[in-house]
Amino acid sequence: MTLIISDNSKGNIGMILKESFCAMGIQVAHFAADTLNIKPCVSCNSCGGKTYGRCVIPDDMQQLYPRIVRCQALVLVSPIVFGGVSYHIKKVMDRMAAVGDPRYWIKDGEIVKGMSNKELRYYMVGFGDNISEAEQTAFLCLHKENQIIMNVSGKAFICDSLADKQAINIIAREIVDE
Amino acid sequence: MNKSEILLICTSPRRKGTSAMLLERVRAAIGGKMIFLPQSGSLNELVSEMQQAETIIISGPCYINTYPAKLIELLETASFTGGFSGQKIYGIINGGMPYIHTHKHGLTCLELFADKNNLSWQGGFILGVGAMLDGKPLEKHMSRRKVVPAFDQFVRYITSGKQSPDSLYIDVQSPPGKLMTYLFSKLLSSMVVKRIKKYGYDPEAPNWYLSNR
Ligand SMILES: Cc1cc2nc3c(=O)[nH]c(=O)nc-3n(C[C@H](O)[C@H](O)[C@H](O)COP(=O)(O)O)c2cc1C
Repeated sequence: MTLIISDNSKGNIGMILKESFCAMGIQVAHFAADTLNIKPCVSCNSCGGKTYGRCVIPDDMQQLYPRIVRCQALVLVSPIVFGGVSYHIKKVMDRMAAVGDPRYWIKDGEIVKGMSNKELRYYMVGFGDNISEAEQTAFLCLHKENQIIMNVSGKAFICDSLADKQAINIIAREIVDE
Repeated sequence: MNKSEILLICTSPRRKGTSAMLLERVRAAIGGKMIFLPQSGSLNELVSEMQQAETIIISGPCYINTYPAKLIELLETASFTGGFSGQKIYGIINGGMPYIHTHKHGLTCLELFADKNNLSWQGGFILGVGAMLDGKPLEKHMSRRKVVPAFDQFVRYITSGKQSPDSLYIDVQSPPGKLMTYLFSKLLSSMVVKRIKKYGYDPEAPNWYLSNR
């Protein structure tokens, strides 16, 4: 399954991406983070002990966790906000730590962590209008760092807020082909 | 500098954590008002305090390679509200990993926010291996001999209203060598595994959400 979690408050790229996947016959689940009730991580570390691998905050994130640990590809779709993701998407990212592998490993000579879903492919799609070079670079760097620390494969894409079906199809195709 | 115009914002939900300790170290030297980012409710009041400040210092943990979601919400709200007039802004970010690159996005994000909203980015300080401190004084840091003077120099830059260069924190934190990397990962892993086992779990077991839903 491909899981899309998007922030649709500033554009409907997430919806178009879902349609692209569907048209390609890919099984996809789509959630709009901006319409869900997701609280920020409070760093209680229950997921690292008392309730290992499980977050105790009783909100809509509980619908996403079972899918995050099962999906083959996770696609986060966000407006680019100061070279990163929006508040709605960042909440999801922070809370994902609960289903990460809390242990430390070495990869390419550096200490990394991992995901309990080791086969996960991790994608970010950022969109906006006239995104500066500095913001694009920062966005790509964020994804690269996420990939390192989560020890997963994947890619980041950047597109215009008004990107058409064709442009989004290309992104979907690349994700499917990987 | 008028002390009432210095605003120190801690973006960690942990009031006695490393972000708070670092910010308190700044406050002890230069004064100002320290605020913990409210974890719920409106941020409008804080935004108006930011507008009235002359210097803003943000300190927070690194969550998945950048500041926590709540800080992003603050920046989004501040940007939406607008009305900034050249406020100086400094950033501090700390995380568990001993690498600068892991935490760098936090400062980049603040700089881009400043550039877009008519604030004046003055640089920041990245502290690796901050998790092990767990709020204890900087003097307990693994690389205290280099890190303490560098951080105190950072504070002096703030006091004199000067830009703090990235080289300040980069030069004092080189990545650990091969052996240290190995030992470090083993030590950290054994600590988390011990905790998981203490609560009766097997760290190798499939995730809870795989077997329960
Ligand atoms: C949700 C979450 C995500 C984290 N992600 C990272 C990370 O990507 N890199 C890292 O080095 N540390 C990471 N940490 C560890 C914290 O940055 C570290 O414990 C920090 O010292 C906490 O600061 P505080 O005591 O001020 O809260 C994460 C912690 C949490 C709770």
